[in-house]
Formats: sequence, structure tokens, C-alpha cells
Amino acid sequence: MLARFWDSDAVWAFRHSPAAIVAFIVAVLILGGALFAPWLAQSNPYDLTTFSLIDGLLPPVWEEGSDRRFLLGTDDQGRDMVSAILFGARLSLLIGLMAMLIATVLGVGLGLAAGYYGGRFDAIVMRIADVQLALPAILTALLIDGIARGLLPPSSHENLRIVVLTLAIALSLWVNFARTARASTFVERNKEYVQAAMIMGQHPLRVMFWHILPNILGPLLVIMTVDLASAILLEATLSFLGIGLPADSPSLGTLIRIGMQFLLSGEWWILWVPTLFLVALVVSINILGDFLRDVFNPRLR
Amino acid sequence: MRSRNLMWSAALAAVMATAGSAAMAETFRWAATTDPQTMDPHAVNAAPVLSFLNNVYEGLVRRGRDMSIEPSLATSWTPLEGENGWRFTLREGVTFHDGATFTAEDVLFSYQRASDEASDVRSWFAPVTDVRVVDEFTIDFVTNAPNPLFPDGIANFMILDSGWAEANDAALPARDAENYATRNTNGTGPFTVASRDPGVETRLVPHDGWWDTDRGNVTEAVLTPIGNAATGLAALLSGEIDFIEPVPLQDVAQVEGRDGFKVIEGEETRVIMFGFGHEHDTLLYSSDVTDANPFTDPRVRLAAAHAINIDAIDRVVMRGKIDAASQLVPAGISGYSEANADRPAYDPDRARELLAEAGYPDGFSFGLKCTNDRYINDEALCRAAASMFAAVGMNAELTTVPVRNYWEQLRADDFDMYLLGWSPGTFDAEHPIRFLLHSQDDEKKLGSWNFGNYSNARVDELLPQIQQELVPATRQSLIDEIVAITQEEVAYIPLYVQPLIWAMQDNIDVTQRADNFFMLRWVSVN
Amino acid sequence: MVYFILKRLLQSVFVMLAVALLAFSLFRFVGDPVSQMTGVETSVEDRERLREELGLNDPFIAQFARFTGDMLQGDFGFSYRTRQPVAEMIADRIPATLELGTVALIISLIVGIPAGVYTALRPRGFITQTILMTTLVGVSIPTFVIGIMLIFLFGVQLGWLPTFGRGGTVEIGGWTSSLFTIDGWRALILPALTLGVYQLTLTMRLVRAEMMEVLRSDYIRFATARGIPYRRLHFRHALANTMIPVITIIGLQFGGVIAFSIVTESVFQWPGMGLLFLESIRFVDIPVMGVYLVVIAFFFVLVNLLVDMLYIAIDPRLRVKEAA
Repeated sequence: MLARFWDSDAVWAFRHSPAAIVAFIVAVLILGGALFAPWLAQSNPYDLTTFSLIDGLLPPVWEEGSDRRFLLGTDDQGRDMVSAILFGARLSLLIGLMAMLIATVLGVGLGLAAGYYGGRFDAIVMRIADVQLALPAILTALLIDGIARGLLPPSSHENLRIVVLTLAIALSLWVNFARTARASTFVERNKEYVQAAMIMGQHPLRVMFWHILPNILGPLLVIMTVDLASAILLEATLSFLGIGLPADSPSLGTLIRIGMQFLLSGEWWILWVPTLFLVALVVSINILGDFLRDVFNPRLR
Repeated sequence: MRSRNLMWSAALAAVMATAGSAAMAETFRWAATTDPQTMDPHAVNAAPVLSFLNNVYEGLVRRGRDMSIEPSLATSWTPLEGENGWRFTLREGVTFHDGATFTAEDVLFSYQRASDEASDVRSWFAPVTDVRVVDEFTIDFVTNAPNPLFPDGIANFMILDSGWAEANDAALPARDAENYATRNTNGTGPFTVASRDPGVETRLVPHDGWWDTDRGNVTEAVLTPIGNAATGLAALLSGEIDFIEPVPLQDVAQVEGRDGFKVIEGEETRVIMFGFGHEHDTLLYSSDVTDANPFTDPRVRLAAAHAINIDAIDRVVMRGKIDAASQLVPAGISGYSEANADRPAYDPDRARELLAEAGYPDGFSFGLKCTNDRYINDEALCRAAASMFAAVGMNAELTTVPVRNYWEQLRADDFDMYLLGWSPGTFDAEHPIRFLLHSQDDEKKLGSWNFGNYSNARVDELLPQIQQELVPATRQSLIDEIVAITQEEVAYIPLYVQPLIWAMQDNIDVTQRADNFFMLRWVSVN
Repeated sequence: MVYFILKRLLQSVFVMLAVALLAFSLFRFVGDPVSQMTGVETSVEDRERLREELGLNDPFIAQFARFTGDMLQGDFGFSYRTRQPVAEMIADRIPATLELGTVALIISLIVGIPAGVYTALRPRGFITQTILMTTLVGVSIPTFVIGIMLIFLFGVQLGWLPTFGRGGTVEIGGWTSSLFTIDGWRALILPALTLGVYQLTLTMRLVRAEMMEVLRSDYIRFATARGIPYRRLHFRHALANTMIPVITIIGLQFGGVIAFSIVTESVFQWPGMGLLFLESIRFVDIPVMGVYLVVIAFFFVLVNLLVDMLYIAIDPRLRVKEAA
């Protein structure tokens, strides 16, 4: 059983792709770190009593004036950088994955249907997409945030920021999926195999998801990997523009935003530790995405 | 043909640009974080506008380098005899930038303009009941009660030329649509606006007919707003900009360490503090105490004050640039209470004891509301404070919001504890008493920034006495009494005085004033 | 074709109305304009009066109707912050944003498409791997960090390029351009690069993915078998077939470019619409925000229309369908 798995095409390809192996290891390490952050990290950035301002601005251990307790130094609040990035990755991955999943389901569903049915339905979906595109992510975030603020009691706002941010990011990403899915569907639906399936009287849903979807997955997978990265980055950007997560719930984006203030001040680690961590995460996700696309592409077999 | 012309004119423009900068050695370029919204001195009562326009317009009195009041368009002023108010003797021989002569009529006109409903600075004239032109160079301001501070209160009241304003349909400040005075100026000040591209660039050149001589050697000054702090710093370090303000605290050491730059540090008059919801029946943001508001108990407020380690905040968050504050005005401001210069010490054990005495031995959770783009490092300050509160058992749920949402939320009582910075507009201790300590009273326009509605009958009683008292020692004793009461009751927790940090090229000389106004006439390029 | 365009133009009016409606419904969440328009010493009563004068106490529908009504008559209102006419403020800032966006897009295309083709044709080469890695790292760093790093490298350390603003501009018939002076181009390079790097990566990866698919498809294999030269095969047959999704994305990209230019403009103090919009958010300048969004919506509609027309031009099958 194990031997068969070991010898399968995908694993064979994987064993022969050093980039994919490295990316896989990095991604697993980061994912594991994020998942088990509460047990791995020595301090909890959410628990204000586990760190102290007195320990603020300490450099990483290899620099002068460092403290052995803090491997990668501390930030301006005395938070351990290692703990901060582990918890940060946890939050960023949660937001990024959720946003990407919502965007994919929404976008691909609407795009497929628009491309398949065409006509009025297509026009409506595409005009909604236009409206969405015309509203920059920053405004979508403000809108959802505002509505949530208006509808819910004040004490729940802080917890809601994550949901609000996830929805805002998902809403500003779904159009990419919809338009790409639609364009490819337009091309596919005129091909013989689709026409044949339609003539045979198969249910439109079956035609869309069984016949068309696998054939347009290529570009969609590219967008998915790139968009998981952009979802995580968008969160950082919204944070930069002042409507991201609060500073005391550290996502990687928030950490980078805070770190920006220390770009020139000599405390380089506050910016570069989370930035390099984010780069490692995003790059490995992308490499794995590329690899999976090459391996599982039906036309390659 | 056309495109050739175009390229030629482009080349010419480029040549002229280089030639221009070479010929004028004393061009001074400075960057501010916010562009002045308007060129109209009565339309918006905001620091960026008043600071900028003080270079273009002048008032009856002005503030010197040390913030003291000195003669400007008025040469002297004396209290009126037989009634309340002041008589101003005006300077003769002053001309506006367009050549018109300055007279008492312009003062009367400017008063009417600035006290109109369309003006945003009319609160300065609330005590004024009548203004009378006595002769061409004498004018009386009649007030409803003795008002020793009136001249101090109108240092930013700028005088326009009545003929110019009326001829250009700008007799009143623009309310919704702009008028001529929104983008054009005609003052008596040392500089005149040569060109203005709002939000991009504003050019000033000296006014040759200016009456005074206390002016540096700047022959052209260019203001560029740069919103992003790091970009502003880069522009300074690359030499494209001669002066920036403010410099992020954490970057000061880097700028100072480089050749060719210098940093001037001072103190603004702004005191940063925490306020409480004194009047709230319950906490809004608590997960454990939902049926009471612990902050109504002065012991709890004192516990919060004892929880703050101001030295650690100074060292880590503020890079050693702050002075701790004991009251709502900094030392040096008139009316500062020397008798009450101590602040509650950092004492977490005492804080826990006080909480236990008040019936919260296990502490409680509450909401702390802060800005994240209003004061220097405000977000970092609040995070540090939240962690210090948590250390004594007061678990602060921190919410930071941009200032555009902040006042609205505070006015809607959406807080348990909040951050506030206050700079006394009149540079007198009476100012924060009027706005922050007197009970909220919309009718009398008092306590309008007392969001938590701290209320003490004695404070309310003392305020009018302070406003009218002419004998300094008596006045000071009244203020001392208020400071003692509010410290005893911990009406606010004053934290520190906000630092003021300017950075510039080495060859620039400037004078830093505590109100953070930027006076071009004190700039010299060496 | 004319019918198609007319139909789309009609739809676009609805898009703009929808954007205006959405925008308006969210403005009240942005903040309180009156607090931003008045000083600390302004009395509660004066503040209330201003609110009344601006019509902010009117019901939401009345405010929206007034905004759209005025706009349909060509009256775009006045800014709360500067009191200037909004139409003029936006019009002044359009050239800066369009020039920045266009140059960024062109950079991303002239680099992205060839790079995409190259990396598809030589998928295992060293150069390919380097290109892929570099661009990946490039898009993994947030735009604002990249912008500031570029500023400090080229503006401060090396002193080659300006750190902010548009440099020398020339006015041609009301259009302020920085494309005709050396200074202007110098100022344009860094922001355009910052803005373009994400689009470049996306274009390249997309062209690469499509190209690799097409190269494996039957008709290309068949053409190879027939002995058609590789060069012709790659560029004429393969590349042409990758263009549909690529054009879609480029259409989207222009949207992305405009939206992301908000961040780039803020980092580089580039005086475009995005910077104006950010300033307007800070001051809760509702009229400016409203008009900005409607103008952006108009751009999107226009670009999408062009994209759809390009589809028809490129793919004859769609032409037949539209005609039918």
C-alpha cells in the first residue's frame, strides 16, 4: 500500500523536484508552527500579562545587547518575535485561506454559470463584477466593517474584525475567478465534448462542474495560488491603510505594518523577521501550487 | 509640428527649472504631513491652516519666539475705562500685499467676518458684545465681563483687507462652495502666496512692504505636503526637502547620526491623558462586570494611575523624549500649578490594594479606546498601557480607531476609558478647565470636550472666577484649588507632554515654538 | 456591433448608479465630516448648524437623490475639505493616475509577456527558475514595503531618482503630463515599477500557464508533426491561443492598477486620484469620495467594454455568436 503510494506518479514527480521538496518542508514547518503556536510559543501575544514593556526592542541573540530568552528579539512592546510570527502566521493563514475559499466558490460558481448560460444572466453577473471592481478593497472593507458595527453590539467588534476582514478580502478577490472562469467557459462550451454532453441532455450543473471545470482548472489554479498570497498581502495593505486588524492581534500584515516604523531606526528585526517569514510562506505556497498544477493537470497524463 | 513645439517647450521648462534653482540660493523647501485645507483665515480653526496663514496674515497681537504676546498690527492695548473690554491702538503705515492701507475699518470688517455664523473661529469672540471704531487707528472691543485674557485669545485672529474681500465677493468665509479667499490671499504678513496647487505645492515669496524687520533670508519658500512619514524622511535625507516635521521618534537617532542634518527637540504644549466615563452606569466593554461602572469610584481611577509605568513608556515607546505630566497643562504655561506638580507614582501593589478596597480584588475587564493616527505613537502607547493595566488585574480591551471616527464615538459615549491629547489654545490653564473639567453645558458652551462628563460643583463655580480675576496671585490660588481637586478625584490621568521634533538640513536655522507653528520669518538658509 | 456597444453603455449607467448607491450607503461609516471640518473650539451648536446646512441630517435617500440629481446636471458639488469644486479637483488629478497606471501596465506587459513565453518554452532552465523565484519574492513583499525600500535605495543611498512627487510636468491642453520631461520620467520610474511588479508577475505566470497548456494540445503537436517551424509555431499559433485569458486578466489588471495605485500614490506622494481619495477618507470628504468612485466605475466600464470588443476581434467564434 505504502509502496504503491511511494511509486505513484505524483510522489515520483515530487521526489524528483527539489524545489517542491524544499517548499513543502517550509510550508509544513510554517503550517505546523501556526497550528501549534499556543504550545510552541513561549509567550502569548494575546495575553498581555505574558510580556512586558521592560523587555522592549531587544535584538536577536546574535546581536549585541540581546537577551537569551528571545531568539529573534522583541518588538516595541516587549513581545517575543518568534511567538509573534507564529501567532501571526496562524491568523494570516486563517484569513487568507478562508478568503480564498469563499472567493473561489463564489467566483468560479458565478463565472461558470455566466459563461455557460450567457445572455442576460451573464450580463448581470458581469455588471455586478464591474461594481465590485470599481469599489477598491479598502472601501469594501470599510463598508462591511461599517455594517457590522451598525448591526452588532460594541463589545463584539474586536472579535468581528477578523470576519469582516476575511469577507472584505474575499469580496475583492472573487471577480478574478469569475471573469477568468467565464472567459474560459466561453471557449470550452463551444467545443465538441461539451456540445455533445449538452445534446445528450445532461444536467447543466453536471456539464459545468464535471466537463467544463476540470478543463479550465489551469488558469484558476494559478489564480488561486497567487490569490492566497494576495489575500495575505491585502490584509497587510489594509493594515497599512489603517483598516486592518488591531495592533494587539498580530497577523503577519499587522506585524509588518508596525515594523515599517522601525525601517530606519536600527531595530531592523521588527520589520524583517515577519517580512521574511511572510516571503517564505508565500513563495512556498506558490511553488507548491505550481507543482500541483503541473502534476494534476488532466491534460498532462 | 505640434509635437516638436511640445518637446521644445518641455526642454525649455527643464532648463528654466535648473536655472531657476541656481539663481535663487535661498529657496527653502519644507514638508508638512497635512496641506492647509484653505487659505481663508476664518474658515477652518485647524492648526495646519492657522500655522501656515500666520506667515501671510497678521493679527492685532502675535506670539513671540517664547510664546509671549507682543504687538503686531496693534502697537498697544489697554483695558477700557468705565466698561469691560480692550482698546487697541493700531500700527500706522502698514500696507496689504496689494498695496492697500491698513486701518481700523479692516479690523472691524475682519471682526464681523470672523464672528459671523459662517466662520469657524467665532468662539474667540463669544465674550465680545460690541466693536467700535474710535478713529482710523483706534478700535475698542467691548466684552460682557472683565476679560484679562482677551488679547491672548485673539493671537490667531487674522486681519483681511475689507476693500479686497468685498471687491472679490469674499466678505464671508466660504461655507460650502469656495470663494475668492479660499485660494487667494491678501494679508499684511511677511510672505505672500505666489502660487498654490492644493495638496501638491504652495509657493511663498517675501512681501517687500512688510512693516517689521525680524525676518530671515528666505527669498522663496515651497510647502509640499508629504503624508507618509517614511517618505518625508527620505525626501529630507536625499536633500530634496530642507525641513520636515514631525520626525518619527524612533528615527531621530538616525537623522542625528548622519552628516549634514540636525534635529531640534522641544515640547509641545499638548498633554496626553486618559479619560474615564464618569457618568456611565455600566461598563460597555466588560466581560465580567456588567452591572456597574468601577470607574465611578475614585479609588479605581487612582489604581489605574498607579498602574502606569511612565518611565518604561518614556524609554521604550517614546525613546526618552517625554516629560511626565501631573496636570492638564505642562510646566511653563501660565496658570501651571507648581503646588501640585507630583503625579501618582508607578506602584502596581498599591494599585491592586486599591482595587481590592473598591471591591474588585480579582480586577475586571473594560474597554480602552484610542486613536491610531492622531498623536505621536498613540497606538503603541495604548498597547503598552493596556499591558500595564492588565498587570494589576484591569484587563483592557483595546480598540484603536482613526481620528475621523474617534470624536464621533466619544461623543456617543462609546468608551469606558479613552485617550485624549489637549493643547491649551490660549496657552493658559483656564483653557482645559473650560473644555475638559467643567460639567457639560451646551448652553454656556462649556465642557464641550469633557466626554466622560466629569462633574464637580466647586470646579464649575471656580471657572468664571478664574476667567474674570485680574490679580495673578489670587487667580493662581483658584487654579491651584481646581488642580488639587481634580488630582484628588483623578478626573483624568495626565501622562506626559507630547514632544516636538523637527529635522532639517544643517544649513537651516529655525525657531521652534511650543504651539508647533512654523514661522517662515524665523528661517534662515546659510 | 453598434447594438452591442449601445447595450453595454446603457448597462454601464446602471453600474455607475449602483456604485454611487453603495458608496453613499457606506459614507456614514467612514466618519463624521463635521468633526473634521471644524476646530476644537467650535461649539456644539455651530457644529449642528453646519451639519444641517450640509444636509447631513436629511434621510439617506434624500441625500443620495440630491447627489445623483446634481451629478446628472453636471454639478459635482464642492469638497468639504477644501471647498473647491470636486469636478476640478478630480480632473486635476486624473492625468497623474492614468500616466502612472498606464506606464505600470506597459512595463508589466512588455516584460511579463516575453518572460511568460520564455519560461514556458524553457521550463527547466536556470534563467527560468531565477525569473520565477525573483518575481515570486517580489510579490510576496507588501507594496508599501517595496516602495519605501526602492525610495531609500535609489532616492537616498544612490541619489539617482527623486523620492516623491511627479518631477517636471508640462501642461498640454489642460492635461498635466510628466511624460515630456526627463525629470518627469525620473520621478515616474519608481512608482511605476512598484505598481507594476504585481501585475508583471501575474501576467508572466498567466502567459506561462496558458502557453504550456497550448503547447501540449493536439493541434500544436499535429503542427509540429507537419513540420511547421518552431518560431512560427510558438508565436503565431501558441501565443495567439493564450490571449483570451490573458486579455481578461489585463482588463482586470487595469482595475487592479487603479485600485492599488492608492497605496503606491500614498507611498510616493504621487498627486493622483488615489492620493486625493485617501486624503478625502481621512477628512471624510463625502463629495470627493462619491465622485471618485463614480469616475473609477466609469473607467472600469470603459475598459471592460474594450476588453469584450477585443475578444470579439480575436476569437472569430465569439463574433459569430454575437451576430446571431
